[in-house]
Amino acid sequence: MSDGMDRRRFLKVLGVAGGGAAALTGCGIGPEPTEKLIPYVIPPEDQTPGLATWYASTCRECGAGCGLHVKVREGRAIKLEGNPDSPVNHGHLCARGQAGLQGLYNPDRITGPLQRNAAGILEPTTWDKAIAALQQQVAAARGKGIVFVTGVETGSFGELVDEWMQQVGGRHVTYEPFAFEALREGNRLAFGDATIPTYDFAAAGYIMSFGADFMETWLSPVGFQNAFTRSHSFESGQNASMAKFVFVGPRLPQTGLIADEWIAINPGTEGMLALAMAQVIVSKRLGNVPPDAARLGLPAAADVAKAIGVDLPVIERLATEFTRTSAPLAVTGGMATHYPNGREIVAAVNVLNYVAGAVGKTVKFGADLAQGLAGQHADMATLTTDLAGGRVALLLVHGANPMHTLGGSFAQAWGKAGFRVSFSSYLDETAAGSDLVLPDLHPLEQWNDSRPRAGVYALQQPAMMPVFDGTKHTGDVLLQVSGKGGTFKSYLQGTWSALQKRLGGKGAFEDWWDAALQHGGIYGDAPSRTVRLAANALAGQSTTGMAAGGEVAVVFPHAALHDGRGANKPWLQELPDPVSKITWHGWVEVHPETADTWQVASGDYLLVKSRFGAVSAPVWITPSIRPGVVALPTGQGHKAYGRYAKDRSFNGFDLLPGEPNAYGGRTHVVSVTLTKTGEHRKLATSEGSTREHGAQVVTVLPLNEARGLKVGELDEEEIPEYAREAERGWADAQHESASLGNYAGEHPRWAMAIDLTKCTGCSACVTACYAENNLATVGEELVVRRREMSWMRIERYWRGDPAAPSGAAVTPMLCQQCGSAPCEPVCPVFAAYHTVDGLNGQVYNRCVGTRYCSNNCPYKVRYFNWFNYAERGGEFEAWPEPLSWLLNPDVTVREKGVMEKCTFCVQRIRATQHKARLEDRQVRDGEIVPACAQTCPSEAIVFGDLNSPTSRVHALSNDPRGYHVLARLNTKPGITYLARVVAGGEA
Amino acid sequence: MIAVAGGSLAAQAAQPAPGTPGYRAPIITDTSRLPGPRQPIFFRHDIHAGQDRIPCMYCHNTVAVSSEPGMPALRTCFGCHQIIGGTTPAHQAEIAKVRKAWSDRTAPQWIRVYWLPGFVHFPHMRHIKVLGTGPESCANCHGAVNGMTQISQVSTLKMGWCISCHMARNVSRDCSLCHY
Repeated sequence: MSDGMDRRRFLKVLGVAGGGAAALTGCGIGPEPTEKLIPYVIPPEDQTPGLATWYASTCRECGAGCGLHVKVREGRAIKLEGNPDSPVNHGHLCARGQAGLQGLYNPDRITGPLQRNAAGILEPTTWDKAIAALQQQVAAARGKGIVFVTGVETGSFGELVDEWMQQVGGRHVTYEPFAFEALREGNRLAFGDATIPTYDFAAAGYIMSFGADFMETWLSPVGFQNAFTRSHSFESGQNASMAKFVFVGPRLPQTGLIADEWIAINPGTEGMLALAMAQVIVSKRLGNVPPDAARLGLPAAADVAKAIGVDLPVIERLATEFTRTSAPLAVTGGMATHYPNGREIVAAVNVLNYVAGAVGKTVKFGADLAQGLAGQHADMATLTTDLAGGRVALLLVHGANPMHTLGGSFAQAWGKAGFRVSFSSYLDETAAGSDLVLPDLHPLEQWNDSRPRAGVYALQQPAMMPVFDGTKHTGDVLLQVSGKGGTFKSYLQGTWSALQKRLGGKGAFEDWWDAALQHGGIYGDAPSRTVRLAANALAGQSTTGMAAGGEVAVVFPHAALHDGRGANKPWLQELPDPVSKITWHGWVEVHPETADTWQVASGDYLLVKSRFGAVSAPVWITPSIRPGVVALPTGQGHKAYGRYAKDRSFNGFDLLPGEPNAYGGRTHVVSVTLTKTGEHRKLATSEGSTREHGAQVVTVLPLNEARGLKVGELDEEEIPEYAREAERGWADAQHESASLGNYAGEHPRWAMAIDLTKCTGCSACVTACYAENNLATVGEELVVRRREMSWMRIERYWRGDPAAPSGAAVTPMLCQQCGSAPCEPVCPVFAAYHTVDGLNGQVYNRCVGTRYCSNNCPYKVRYFNWFNYAERGGEFEAWPEPLSWLLNPDVTVREKGVMEKCTFCVQRIRATQHKARLEDRQVRDGEIVPACAQTCPSEAIVFGDLNSPTSRVHALSNDPRGYHVLARLNTKPGITYLARVVAGGEA
Repeated sequence: MIAVAGGSLAAQAAQPAPGTPGYRAPIITDTSRLPGPRQPIFFRHDIHAGQDRIPCMYCHNTVAVSSEPGMPALRTCFGCHQIIGGTTPAHQAEIAKVRKAWSDRTAPQWIRVYWLPGFVHFPHMRHIKVLGTGPESCANCHGAVNGMTQISQVSTLKMGWCISCHMARNVSRDCSLCHY
């Protein structure tokens, strides 16, 4: 059979078609010389050439444990989608989850075991030798200190490591650079329960986040975002209501973009604000205050207001609003839980939840979310001391890169370890410094499991054969080294067999196991238990903020690259940061006032220096941060980790202390000095302007106004008479041409509705589009020249006063599939044309690259191939082997000189039409789901046939909130946006 | 064995059509004049489909459900040819290649005859759905395969050729039907 790769070579053939190939077959278009069809020897049972097979698995890009459906074509995983069965993510994925494929096919994966030779160079070895070397080292190190560092592991692999460490007398340390020490310790302080509860965003009537970036990196971002939009959304109608969302923090992260109100608080005083609110609630007896709240001894709100610089009326209003609903929810996390007083902030927010009656209602203990199970930073500090003291003879690292994230004293002590082993799939800083590298399989190639929360057991199964034969499941290696023998799969089945007994699963194990595999795991409810407020819940509270004289720097996790693990994936590098819109590089966020003080412009470098280190970072001036505070992302600054990550920008972790703070966590907010270096860099940003200049790209409505809105009101535009006349002429012409040939008869009109009240700007859709439609990543240099290929982009504007915005407004911008498209009439070769089903077609093989269409597009959503991004070894090669394996065989790979744009995933439309036709039926509403809509954690995008009166998209396009971007241009877009509704202010 | 090659006109006229009972595929003594590329194994559709009347979909078994017709796995070949060894030395020599390939677990590398550039998406299943699964339906584009000693391309596969059929049958000619 065809290996599915032939389509990808497509346009090269254009050259051949014009000339040489004719000789081969005597036809106009012929095969490339000696194109081969190589059949299977034995056909795999579950593969049909040309059709996709789906495997359920679990995403391991972070510890949240989202369920996956892996799309496999001809034996290769080509797309990841969320598993709708999973209660963790309800069928959706974030950008990082989507990019898991680029870890699988990463061109910088280690292809086989490596061992450091006498000259000190890592050189390839065999598995037999490597495992013998490991066995020898383990035997020699017994009793002299063996430490195994892994990421958060909540399943059988973690148990195996524990068992092995017990056997050899070593210890197992789990390490996540952004761990949840403050949350656990704060919960212990307030409730005497150091576990992580579930937060029921879906049931909440009012949501306050004290720093928690719960849609980006915090605990379970996809699930939280999905639940959040269930309560924070607007359904039209006079009595329509929505939960208000208030974000409290010194800077707006992506999570804050959707906030109805932003309180730019002095870092460190978040907890005091929560306590002041609690005091107002208790003293004014707002809501159902529990009887034991009176004995808390809450600080007077008026005093707190003065001390933390938030006006008393604001505090009182927040307290009133918070208790007006029966199900309020306050969460704290993100950077607020990485301050020196993070534990106290958590305790304070717990108290607020408690007095407002949220505990047990929207905050439920018992689930113990998996991400929170990572060890403490203090464990790594102890390890550093042990290393420095020569007390570690053998150090093994799996699923963590402490040489990058800890650096400093850890890196110095690293050399003191007797022998270092890495199980990394990539040559990251830690692997590069190891004596033995035993590359693990990628999570998509291996058997494994995890426990995202109590009651939920998620399975991973190999979706394909390993990309590199020389890699080996670390579980298999450990079983061999420990003498247990067998494969990790059988070990896993052993633990699952025990699980079946424990859960009382019925039937034979094989049947139970197969059913679990099909669904991606076993999904049960988390047990719930009540907690009581501890007597000393308010110990250690203080009103002192951190930004009191001098600058403080917040080192926050990059939304896409996280702690740096995403930096080797070009999709994530090229994904504009949801807030700053900067790609491929780090930045330091500086308020305009602070920028004036330092006389810097965006792109000027500042040397940011703390007591622990210094980094040089280009300035991004933004009103989304509090004056006097600067903020830098982690994620970049790798010294190894492959071609996409190495030597790029700065490492934010360098600014941070290695010592643990009072609650065993790592402090991410440090005092810094700033110095202008005189260097400048043009930032690779995808942003055009921070303001809309009256274009009303995002229509924002207060809740009161949205309630009274009539259908069509938002689109009402003054259209001049000449335009009306032109429109009439156009309509006549359309009427005439609509009766011709192909166009005659009834056709669907494919259309989309995007609810901007639901869209949070998380950008998962952008990466999903890259994955589905073979979009090339072009690199920093070309992004600077505005040549990115992102068919879908998220535009972010500031709301309100430009100097002190009240928040942000975001919108996905993609081809509007205009009914009267400006791009179509200007194409001299009919490459841009109107399809019968209402799409703006773009025929790549017809396009000659005049770029007239792009010039004439008012939405600027057409993208031109300036280079041949698919060229092997080319300067701008986007898919070096084996990255090209992830290309979608159903979508043409475009060549140099061709214009491209969003197609509404026409390949999915056609595939669904084929399927419906084979089953002798019509396409059902909701059956066609474009990649963006599929992955959207907020379910903000609805796709369907506008001409069908029963379709969802038809109903939504007639929603009172519906409007069309730049409607006055008479482009008749196929995308209806539903206006962003901002809650707050209304009675 | 009936010798047909070089037979008289009358003898050929008496021969039933390929794919009907009694049809005997010709004995080929000179392969150099056969149209189409020479394949690694001299696989004869006229024997398999014409004389033995094996349905097309016995081997190309995904054609009704997928865009790809499916090339038979070597196991499919061997399924019959572990028993059927051929009656003439020439046939036996070719079948021996199949058996060797099976024992080596190496699939033959067939030379592709029908080929479309990557920017054309051709759904086989839709055409089979309309035209049916019999050899006469495949013949619309691939010619009378059951009479072909060696496969050669009989239609141009140019866009005009596609369109003319789509116009004659009054089905969609929209560009984005195939180009995306």
